[in-house]
This record gives sequence, C-alpha cells and structure tokens, in this order.
Amino acid sequence: MADYQNLFTRVQVEAPHYPGVPHDPQGLWKRGTHASASYWLGKIGDAQIGPFYLGATGLASLVFGLLAFEIIGLNMWASVGWDPVQFVRQLFWLALEPPAPEYGLRLPPLKDGGWYLMAGFFLTMSIMLWWVRTYRLARKHQMGTHVAWAFASAIWLFLVLGFFRPLLMGSWSESVPFGIFAHLDWTAAFSLRYGNLLYNPFHALSIVFLYGSVLLFAMHAGTIMAVSKYGGEREIEQTLDRGTASERAALFWRWTMGFNATMESIHRWAWWFAVLCTLTGGIGILLTGTVVDNWYLWAVKHGVAPAYPATFEVLPDPAIATGAAQ
Amino acid sequence: MAMLNFEKKYRIRGGTLVGGDLFDFWVGPFYVGFFGVTTAFFALLGTALLVYGAALGDHTTGLQTWNLWQINVAPPDLKYGLGLAPLAEGGIWQIVTICAIGAFSSWALREVEICRKLGMGYHVPVAFASAILAYVTLQVIRPVLLGAWGHAFPYGIYSHLDWVSNVAYQYLHFHYNPAHMVAVTFFFTTTLALALHGGLVLSAINPKQGQVVKTAEHENSFFRDNIGYSVGTLGIHRFGLLAAINAGVWSAICIVVSGPFWTRSWPDWWAWWLNLPMWN
Amino acid sequence: MNTRLKLLLASIVSLGFLAGCGERPPVETVQVGYRGTGMEQVYNPRLLQQVAAKNQIGNIQPAADTSGPLAKDIYQNVQVLSDLSIGEFTRVMLSMTEWVAPADQKNCTYCHNGENYADESKYQYKVARSMLKMTRDINSNYQAHVKDTGVTCHTCHRGQPVPSYVWFTDPGTGREKASIGANAGQNTPVTALGTTTIAHSSLPFDPYSPFLLGDQPIRVGTTTALPSGNRSSIKQAEWTYSLMVHMSNSLGVNCTYCHNSRAWGEWSESRPQRTVAWHGIRMARQLNNEYLVPLTNTFPDHRLGPTGDVAKINCQTCHQGVYKPYFGQSMAKDYPELQRAKPMTEAAPAAETAEAAEAAADAGAAAPAAAPVAAPAAKSAKVVKPSRSTLAALNVAG
Repeated sequence: MADYQNLFTRVQVEAPHYPGVPHDPQGLWKRGTHASASYWLGKIGDAQIGPFYLGATGLASLVFGLLAFEIIGLNMWASVGWDPVQFVRQLFWLALEPPAPEYGLRLPPLKDGGWYLMAGFFLTMSIMLWWVRTYRLARKHQMGTHVAWAFASAIWLFLVLGFFRPLLMGSWSESVPFGIFAHLDWTAAFSLRYGNLLYNPFHALSIVFLYGSVLLFAMHAGTIMAVSKYGGEREIEQTLDRGTASERAALFWRWTMGFNATMESIHRWAWWFAVLCTLTGGIGILLTGTVVDNWYLWAVKHGVAPAYPATFEVLPDPAIATGAAQ
Repeated sequence: MAMLNFEKKYRIRGGTLVGGDLFDFWVGPFYVGFFGVTTAFFALLGTALLVYGAALGDHTTGLQTWNLWQINVAPPDLKYGLGLAPLAEGGIWQIVTICAIGAFSSWALREVEICRKLGMGYHVPVAFASAILAYVTLQVIRPVLLGAWGHAFPYGIYSHLDWVSNVAYQYLHFHYNPAHMVAVTFFFTTTLALALHGGLVLSAINPKQGQVVKTAEHENSFFRDNIGYSVGTLGIHRFGLLAAINAGVWSAICIVVSGPFWTRSWPDWWAWWLNLPMWN
Repeated sequence: MNTRLKLLLASIVSLGFLAGCGERPPVETVQVGYRGTGMEQVYNPRLLQQVAAKNQIGNIQPAADTSGPLAKDIYQNVQVLSDLSIGEFTRVMLSMTEWVAPADQKNCTYCHNGENYADESKYQYKVARSMLKMTRDINSNYQAHVKDTGVTCHTCHRGQPVPSYVWFTDPGTGREKASIGANAGQNTPVTALGTTTIAHSSLPFDPYSPFLLGDQPIRVGTTTALPSGNRSSIKQAEWTYSLMVHMSNSLGVNCTYCHNSRAWGEWSESRPQRTVAWHGIRMARQLNNEYLVPLTNTFPDHRLGPTGDVAKINCQTCHQGVYKPYFGQSMAKDYPELQRAKPMTEAAPAAETAEAAEAAADAGAAAPAAAPVAAPAAKSAKVVKPSRSTLAALNVAG
C-alpha cells in the first residue's frame, strides 16, 4: 500500500477565504462576510467554513425550527421532572408523543398531544421555508433547481408520515413521535400492525433505491477518486469538454458491465435513485392502512408470498375453537 | 459497433493479474480477462443450479413453483452443522453460495485488471470488496461462528425477506442494535449526499434556458450560502465513497455481532448506559 | 500515523467493541421452523447455566400416608384441603413452610397463631387459603396451559413470601396533570415504581394492566388484505408489542418461538407454543381477577403497591426466564394434594379410601426414590393418630 490513494489531503494550503460568487442582483439581505478554516474538515474536503447567507426565509426557518426543537426538548426534560442528570441519562428513551387515538383529528389538550402538534407544525413550517430558501438560492445563483426538487422528494415522505397519512386515517395519533427510540418503536409497530411491511411492494422499491443509491455513490465516487489523478472531480469542466478522466471512467464501466454513463448522465442516475427512494417510500406509507391493511395477506392474494412446508403442528385459532371472545 | 468513438486508443494490452495475454481481449463492449472467464463460469453454474433448485422445489411436500417471487433455494437444516448437505436438502444452496463468492471475487479482480489497463486507482474494486465482505459475513463468517450453514439467508426474492424479518425478531427489536443504527445512518446520509451531489452538479450544468453554464465556484457559493459549508468537488466524492463503504461495513458488523456476540434482546444492550455508576 | 499503527488501533477498537457486547461464541441455536426462514432460538450456554442454577425445583417432601382420618376431622377450620388425610395435609403444610415462609421465620407461626392454629387473624393465613385454591384451580382447570406439569407454591414463590416477579400498577410520574411532560405510559427506561421498563426499551411500560388484568384486545392486525373495519392504531400495536416483549423475556425465548414474523396473526404460520401462550394470557388474567384482586384488602399496606393495589401475576412470575418453569420439570406431579379442585365430601368413606388409594398409587408411581408404599386398595378407614414427629413439627400438643 505504498501509493497515495487521494483519500485524505496530506498538505493543506492556507489561503484567503473565497467570498463567494456575488449575488447579482443583490437582494435585501447581504451574504455574511465571516469565514474560517477547519483543519480537520480540510483533511477530507474544503477547509473553509462560511460565509453564511441568512435571508428572510432562512431566518424564519431557523426561528420555527428552534421553536420546534425547544418544544420537543423541553417536553422531554419535563418528563424527567426537570432533572438535568436524568435528562442526559434517559435522553435516547425520551420522547414527545402524538395524541391518543380518541381525539381523532381534533385539537387535543396540550399535555396529550397538543405540544406534539405544535412542534410538528413548527417543524413543518421550518422545513417548507428551508425548501423555499433552497429554491430561491439556486435561482439567485442562476443555477438549476435540481437540489430543491430532490429536497421536495424528502419533504414528500416527511409530510406523508406526519400529515397526509394521519389525515387520511382520521387520527393524529398515527404520526411519528419525536424521540430516538420512540420513533424506532413506531417503525416496528407500524410493520406489526400492517402485516409486515417487507411485503409492501413500494417498501421493497424504496429499499431497492436506498441500497441502489449507496451502490451508485460507491461506484461513482470510487470512479471519480480513481481518475482524480486526471482531474476527474472537475465534473462540470469534464462534462463540457470531455477529458481523459471522463473517458477512462466511462470505459471502466463499459468494459466491466457492458454499458456506461457520461460525466453528466451519471448525476442523473444519482439524482433519480436518491429521489425515488423517498418518493416510493412515501407512496408505500400512504397506501398502508388506507388502501391495504395487511401486506402479507395482500401478497398472498397476489400470489407472491412463498409457501413453506409445515415443520410443526398447525393448530386452529383458539379464540374460535374455545368460542372465547378473542 | 460496440466501441465508443474515443475508445480505440485505450484498448491496449496489459494490466492483467493472471494469464498474461491469453484472455486479454474484449467480447463486444465487455472486457474478458482470466477473471472474466471465471466470472462467467461461476455465474452460469450458480444460475443453472438456482434454476435446478427451483425445478426441484421441496421434495418432502412436493411444493414447487416457477413463480419468480416465490422461488426459494434454502440453506440446510441446522442439524447438518458445517458439513455438506444432500443436494435437495440445502446442498444446492451451498454450491450456489460457493459460486456466488467465486463470481463476486472474480468480478472484483476483473475490475482490478481493468483499472490497471486504464491507469486508474483501485477505489471501485476496493469499495466492491466491502460489499463482498458484507455478503461473506452474512453467508459464511456468521454461520461458521454459529456452527451451521443453515443460519445463512435463502436465495429467493420474498423468502430472503422472511429470513431478515425472523432473524431480526430473534433479538426482539433489532432497531436497538447500536451498530445497526450506525449503518442505517450511513445509508440515509449516503442517499442524502447523493441527492445533493447529483442535484448540485446538474444545477450547475443545466441552468435556466438562456443562462450560462456555471462553475465549481458557483457550486461552492450555493452550499456556503445555504448551510455555511461546501465540501468541494473532490471532498464530496471522498465523503460519498467513505459513507457508502461504511454503510456496508457497519451492516456486516451489526449482523455478525447478533448471535455470536449477543444473544439477548437488543434493547437490553442499552442497560450498560443506564447502569453507569455516575447516575445509577 | 503509519499504516501498521492504524491497523493495530483499528483491531484494538474492534475487539473492544466486540468484548463490550459482553458475550462470545460458541452459542447454541435451535431451529424451530423450516430451513432458511430464520426461525431459531439462540442461547448463550454460559448465561443459560446461570439461569439453570436459579431455576431448580424446590424440595419435595416424602409422599404422605393417604390412609387415616381426614384433616378436617382432626383440625378445625380446614376449608380448602378438606379432602386430604392428616398425612397429606401435614405434608402440604410442611412444604408450604419451606416454599413460602421467609428465611427468618420458616415455621408455622408465619401464617398461624401458635396458640390456636385455626385462628385466621394473620393475613398470611387467609392469603394462603386463597393461594391453595388457586393452585388447585390451575392444576385442574388450566391444563391447556400447564398441561400435566402443573404448579406448586414454589413455582412462583421459590422459597420467599413474596415472589420475585410480581407487578403493581404504576403510580405515574405525577406529571399527568401538568401541562407539559406527560410520558403517555412509555418513552422512559425507568418506571415510577423504580423498576426498569420492559427489556429496557421505550415501549409502554405497563402492558399488564390492560392485557393481564383487563381484557383489552391484544390482536391489532387485520385478517383481510384490504381494510375491513379494523380501527386498531399504531399506538395499540406498540402496547401489544410491549406485552410480547415481556412474554419473550419472561420465557427466555424470542418472537420466533411462537410466530413466523412474516404473518404474526396467522395461526397457520404459528407454532403450537402460540396456542399454549394464548391460554397462558387468559390464565394470568383470570387468576389476577379471581384470586389476587379480591385479596387487596386482606394484605397489609406494606404488601400493597403505591396506588394501594395488590401484587399481581404476569408471565415472569412463574416462568422466571425459562420457556417452561424449571425447564419443564414437574413438581406438581409429586403433589396430588395440590391437584384436586373440589374438596371431597364426607359421605363415602369407601370411595374416599379408594380415591385416596388411587391418588396414593399415582403418587407412588410417580414419586422418586424413597417413597413409602402406597396404601392397599381395600382397607376400611380408621383413625390414625399423627406420629409424634409430625406433631412435633406441627407444634401441636399430642
């Protein structure tokens, strides 16, 4: 392993901070001027941190976001009796729960879901505003809005989980709690309730795109790193004026698997795979409980569930056999 | 026909690891190489065996199907331990697994040969090796640690998902596995980063109608404006590569510890944190 | 840092991580489903040894003489065990003392007034009576769950007056009335009772009240592919999940012991153990409601929970971390006295003797070594004075 593989920068150059491409025309808000350099970030990427652009939507987004964060955090802290030690100790277990099912879509009291709905609303506002910010910044830089539309796909899943599906189910209690372990409990319970989500075809599709995205990024990033000695990471320049980096990168895959992308089109593959992950995932969640109530039985109905030989005695439902209620 | 308009000058001899000039040629767009031959051998044999396994079905019950979703070639019963099972009782599965490892490794080594021929770094086959490691962990390392081939996952579209579900529930609530949490985080972060990277490059190359194509300075400015930091054109590929590889590596870790190094429920693992002397 | 050092550091960290998990191979696995489905039980032999050490059956008294007068004819205020001979009755009393009385009071006065054994003034007396009824009820009427293995006092009590694993109603954190910080019965690793939550998870920490005391529906899944009116919520699924995690940990098994997780609700995909568990849930429910709850006012305050409720049964009370209590060994088979549900009537001495003989024959057949000879079949009842040693043990004047 004597060769340098270009994974970490060995020599960092200190240089004046780059103030950024000027906004033209400049709006009401100006970009910040402060920037600093991080040695450790510089080992893997650019060392420069900042300058940051706040903007109106950015400010509003941060305010709403902070509100949501505080509501969630303070509820968690209150649940341990305001004990700071227990707060740290129990943090992963703590949560802010959605209301009980009995309230349906009505506004519940604060302590039984009211805070949750407030936090959810503020978080949603924060995210929507951040989307607007992302879109407008692209426009301001006279760039395409591809990043914003990718973000929209993620927001689609977020809204399905916390808004659209609970709305269709008639109950805010269906939405996801704010909490580390709590949201994992929700995930497991969701699958338990609906006949094992692995049999949901959109869930399967979403996983295909999730694993596919990781595969694609490994492939693309590996390829670029492998041709970085020829300037492969200068993707815009290589797209407009194909150099030996793009040629070798394309030929590597053509010779390996028989076909290849181009320096631009690989980024379309990338964009679509990542975007389709949350897009199909959101569809899968939305269909669950509304259109399909038990995915295993749905799979059986459509002839895709495998049959296994019985290796144990099969007994009938004792509730029916004994005539008991359930 | 199969060559791109700039390809000819790159089709040189050399770069092979094994075999010299013997297999140093192309079939259509595909490079062959010694490892291309071994890949083809293992892949064909493995696929043929899977078809044979599907044709056999389960001989104890006569359950047999050609339904692509339901086909299931299962590993042997645990009672066979680490030995060879009869073909119809998991033996097919065993040979398919050998073929899979042979084919995947051959593919990776063929990629190495192609890298050498093209004067590229080995980053792609190394990344692929981490995925092969995950497969080998699931199908070889963990079963060996547990003492039987029967612990590996079956070859079947929905049947392998049943395996995933049941193995996870052996630990009551698999989401609490800390290595699984790390792996999932790497998966989601990689996907997020891919969306951002794909979107950013496309947004620079494809501005609105009539506008001029942008530069890397615009990419950096956009991200610094947006989140205060831009990792840069080289950095994003380093990050993506490391994140993607880590997703696979931590997945392998999370499953190899489940069983051999932890037999209880995964939520119970967190007891050590709760019981730290400073707050217990 | 050079490569070799980095490699060394990585190895140390990985080994530390693996060691931190706390267990190591080899482990034992048991296949419980079709090959490749992943339905397996996983056991760490070192941990299993510790569990086995803690789950040995209690001492079994030598089989009793079933002949002779009935206890109820000799002693006063014998209500539940009125079908037992003096010998059998004494045997039960001796066993109960061993199995239930506390270490510092392993004698009759834990339950009895030493001056008058018929006196009910100690709460333990009344509780024990109820417990005897319950034990006989379990062994006679709950065979769908306990089969022929059955239970004795030791199964729950294990030598202690209060079983190690009982549950009380959670008093709550006191934040239920506050406008902020209610935990909705979950999302904490420690309960207000001071116990850890089920498997240290953030699932609901009291699934016992709705499911093992109340009869809330446990099933949440739909039995059809398309919606057909099932309004169970995801939250309800979390509560059911919590009960199931409790059951798994109480039995030292995982979900695949009963279920194929691809189809939780389908009985055609579930192992027979699920049926036994179904009966177990009903048994726990009925025992709590018929025997424990009615004893609430019998117990003194220091035996009640923070909300004034009685100690109740859940799966862990008997199973104590094992798939069958004592790994399936039966104590009850050596205690026919604890098997009969109904006290026998006085009216048929011949029948009594025959039944006693039959039971004794059973006991004789099943008893381990050193059992006295079973009473001969046709022998007319006669009054037999308890032996001096028995009287001494009972602390009764001869």
